[in-house]
Amino acid sequence: MQWSKKDMEQYIGAKEYVDTVLIPLMPVVLAGNEELVKQAFQGELLNRFSQEVEVQFKGRIYLSPIYTYLASANKISEAERLKTWVDGIKENEPKHIFFFTFDPQWKKHEKNLDGTIIWIPAIQTGDIHSQETKDLLKQQTSQLTELILSYW
Amino acid sequence: MSEKKQQVSRRQFLNYTLTGVGGFMAAGMLTPMIRMAVDPVLQPKKSGDLVAVVEVDKLTTEPQRFDWEIDQVDAWYESKVTKTAWVFIQEDDSILALSPICTHLGCTVSWEGNEEYPNQYYCPCHGGRYYKNGVNVPGLPPPAPLAVYDQDVKDGTLYLGKAISRKGA
Repeated sequence: MQWSKKDMEQYIGAKEYVDTVLIPLMPVVLAGNEELVKQAFQGELLNRFSQEVEVQFKGRIYLSPIYTYLASANKISEAERLKTWVDGIKENEPKHIFFFTFDPQWKKHEKNLDGTIIWIPAIQTGDIHSQETKDLLKQQTSQLTELILSYW
Repeated sequence: MSEKKQQVSRRQFLNYTLTGVGGFMAAGMLTPMIRMAVDPVLQPKKSGDLVAVVEVDKLTTEPQRFDWEIDQVDAWYESKVTKTAWVFIQEDDSILALSPICTHLGCTVSWEGNEEYPNQYYCPCHGGRYYKNGVNVPGLPPPAPLAVYDQDVKDGTLYLGKAISRKGA
């Protein structure tokens, strides 16, 4: 399920089947040249990954809107803000909460978050539409889906 | 003598010419209007378009997964969407192309996706299962059989179109 009217209408009728929430964590930068390009590319990738996984498990995963934060932000306060998202989501009583991110710094805040951080090694740069990237995406998606399956 | 030869009088000539010219002008005005009115009928049906997916000689009696891309237009937003089908040759030599979308809540099912259930499609989300022909195993969450793709075979190539849903079993 995605954050769209159609899916949400289906979601409220099928909450007992949708027991897993997926929150993509996307850092953004607002200035700098190389950083802008790099983070935007990784943002696109993260979005694509989340969408691919959602397609596989549409009926059991709720893909939350992307959680964005400044790449330069303090992780401790950022973790607190993210916690407020998690608390809100918990009202739907999900059994599993996963965070998808390319940002390795989240890993050490995992214990404060009531969820599982799935850190994906990022591709530094490339073309999102190239065959190479598509193949890589496909392979990594199938590993991600297996990882999620192992939790169910 | 001129009376006999002159079979078209001036009045008749003018009548004919005016009718001809007037008719021509009316047609010139009406044609685009009619054309505009029937235009939707003349447009090729985009959604019904069939896309070449695989050569028929690659198909077996065992369902195989094939992916292809289509351009999907959602109002003003156009995007490339990957479609997937499980395709196999049935006992009567006809081809069956099934949509992998679980009829319960829309997860993606796969053929023999669970070792405990050989010869069935398995949905990893809530354990829904389907027989080889796509009919749902009763007593499980899926309410209907898997959808079947519109298909055509031309020059040894299988073309697939829209997935058409079937009613519950």
